Amino acid sequence: MKLYKKEGNALQILSFPNETVEKGDYLLVEDAEAGRGLIVQVIDAQFASIPGVLEELLRSLPDGGELIQGEDVDPLEIAPHITYIQDASLLICKIRASIENENLSPTSSWLPSRSQSTIKKLPLPALLKLAKIDGKLPIVLGGTKDSSLLAIDASSLDGRLNIITGKKETGKSHLSKLLMVNLIGYKATVVVFDLNGEYLSLGMTGDGKRNAYYDKIHVLTPSQNFKLALKQLNLHVLLGILVHALHLPGTSAREFRRIWQALKERDALTLHELGETIRNWNCNQHVRDALFSRYHALVNSGFFTDNVAEATLLEDCLLKAKEEGSGIIINLRNTSAIDRQIVVEYVLGKLVDSLTSWKLKAVFLFAEEAHLYLRETYWDDIVTRMRHFGIFTTFITNQPDTIRENIYRQADNIFLFNFTNEHDLDVVSRAARVDAETVRSIARDLPPHHCLVLGRVVRDFPMVAKVKALDVKTMGETRLFFKDSN
Amino acid sequence: MHSLKPVQTQPFQLNQQNFQQINGFEESTQAFRLRLEPIPLKPIRQESIVAAVDTSTIKIGETSQGIVIAVRGADVWKQNRAYRYVRLGPFVFHITDENKKEVYDALERSYFNYSQEHNHQGAPNFLQMPSRIASLLERWIQTMLSKTMNKGLILFDGSLTSGTPDTPTQRLKDILSTARRRGNIVLAFSKMTNLRVNGHVITDLLPRAAPPYLLETEGLRLKPPMVLLGDVYVARLTTGNCAFRLDIDKEVLPEIRIEATEKLLGNDLLSQSYPETLRLAHILCTFTANEVLAMQHFVTRRYGLQIVNRPDMHRLLFGPFGKGESYS
Repeated sequence: MKLYKKEGNALQILSFPNETVEKGDYLLVEDAEAGRGLIVQVIDAQFASIPGVLEELLRSLPDGGELIQGEDVDPLEIAPHITYIQDASLLICKIRASIENENLSPTSSWLPSRSQSTIKKLPLPALLKLAKIDGKLPIVLGGTKDSSLLAIDASSLDGRLNIITGKKETGKSHLSKLLMVNLIGYKATVVVFDLNGEYLSLGMTGDGKRNAYYDKIHVLTPSQNFKLALKQLNLHVLLGILVHALHLPGTSAREFRRIWQALKERDALTLHELGETIRNWNCNQHVRDALFSRYHALVNSGFFTDNVAEATLLEDCLLKAKEEGSGIIINLRNTSAIDRQIVVEYVLGKLVDSLTSWKLKAVFLFAEEAHLYLRETYWDDIVTRMRHFGIFTTFITNQPDTIRENIYRQADNIFLFNFTNEHDLDVVSRAARVDAETVRSIARDLPPHHCLVLGRVVRDFPMVAKVKALDVKTMGETRLFFKDSN
Repeated sequence: MHSLKPVQTQPFQLNQQNFQQINGFEESTQAFRLRLEPIPLKPIRQESIVAAVDTSTIKIGETSQGIVIAVRGADVWKQNRAYRYVRLGPFVFHITDENKKEVYDALERSYFNYSQEHNHQGAPNFLQMPSRIASLLERWIQTMLSKTMNKGLILFDGSLTSGTPDTPTQRLKDILSTARRRGNIVLAFSKMTNLRVNGHVITDLLPRAAPPYLLETEGLRLKPPMVLLGDVYVARLTTGNCAFRLDIDKEVLPEIRIEATEKLLGNDLLSQSYPETLRLAHILCTFTANEVLAMQHFVTRRYGLQIVNRPDMHRLLFGPFGKGESYS
């Protein structure tokens, strides 16, 4: 390989057919005289612009587009040299770091010698070692192309905002499960908003037996084993639900606060009493109507109960999880859009409460297709305010444009699966931790279950790994009409 | 190829330049005339093999003692409505003032079995060597074709003028007589000609008649030792304004010559009055820039020659006005 050109932080390297280099590979450009080197990543491979190639191709097809048959008597065997030159490729590389005495720095201002530099493939294990991508809490994501394992450190997810994205059936949920069970294994508290019931069997193996996480997985299904009694609720949590999930106007919210105080003084915080009090409350008719409609929404959700015995305290689950680590799966499958927002509003409010009062240290929140239940203002809350409380979110989506641009800009880690749609790639390439060309070029060619890992977890060295298999019972499969006939 | 061995590991300069075959020995005389009555042609579809030969040469670099050149020849034929080819080469030579005679004699001996005593032409001068070596290869391929084909049409690139340094009269006579004996007709197409009538190039003097047709010439005399072994025609074989000088073996009867041209029309594709077989032969033997790079790669690898870029003096002295030699 030969160094050809440098433009900005892009390097062009001429590669010959006997040198097998592919997209995503790392190369070490070493200038022995300067005692320095550059670590570059191949983001694209093109045909080198060899003069005369067009003529060469044209003359092989002069007979109406069909190959002209013939024999070449080539006693000096020059033909292999022609093929060698013709098949030369130009590797478009991005400079990831410069290296001096085994120390890496993210600069690309230095220019190695074009004539003296040597270029060789940098195996991923060597790069992982150089970049110190290891740690005490390894999470093995899977295998790399050169048959080594890519392990990230669980602590690099701590306090971070992560995005897992890719088109359908590329392995996003699989990776999120992998991260989740590993975090639980390291005694972390993980809360999942499970939109399609995909995580319900996280505690079971593929053949339906209990796995190591069985006791640590708690599935809470609203209106079934996850119900609330009004008595257990704080007013501000309920007001959050009424205002944000059920869009109760401010005037009505003030009236509701008075009603709540009145009931609390009488120790009559039940659904029945709440309904009666609203009916008889001395207030404007419109306000009463507004309160009644929200009251009925709460009652119809089935999420609230007057029977304290059947109410489940999320807080209790969280406290149990605090010691040994556990996964709390909020099953939002078969839940209507309004009820989903009520539940999410409650869970987030409760998490903030618990974290503010230091009942909990931190929570890893996994949110699938969050645009379907997260209110507008929560997006900013999650990336700024809630992070300080200790809610570290991982968004999982196959529609990258449903996540706001500022989330991409602030994302610390992105786990990117295959995308072919230009628009989707455009959106993801806005992430601050990687250049747009890398995302566009590598993500487009990722095979299923292969993930481009970007960000802090890989010390900003984008790496591709085939996500390892997980022995967990698959749930949330698409229901098929022709399944039995196939 | 042995000529390269003495210069192993020596510096070697890139300088790509095609050598043009010089064809400017002929001059028309007062007696030379062009008959403007066209001989109309009708394509004869009766199956005949059409074969064409062309060679090319290119300088691929310089050494301190000489030049490194490559030569390649192509033979293309159309049979059963399909084109096929045999390409010979590239052959790479290192030519110096010292070895030019040795190289040329060795090639001549191996191609034509001529002993040194029979070779009256002597070694060419240094600058003519590339085209002379290409010419040797071309005549050899033509000889082989004339010996192996039967009742076909053999297309030459150029004229049937002999007695020039690269075409001894006897050699061309031998080729033509061998071809005749096997029922082949040689048709030689010249892309360029200097033959003029009343100051006009003969291929520009086209009557208002529908092609395809031939125009006959008469009275062309060449200065000795040059001998014309063919009769010269102007061939306008398709619509459009292109016409070419066509030399046909003068030992062949005139009606057979016309018939041969009509067989060419019936058996080969013609574009802008030029036969496809000959066009393919030219295309297949021409060196592309990619091939030049490959041959430079070959001599560097096999013989350890170092490639050095000598500055282009035209560019150096005249900047953007220097349009002389240029390097890739």
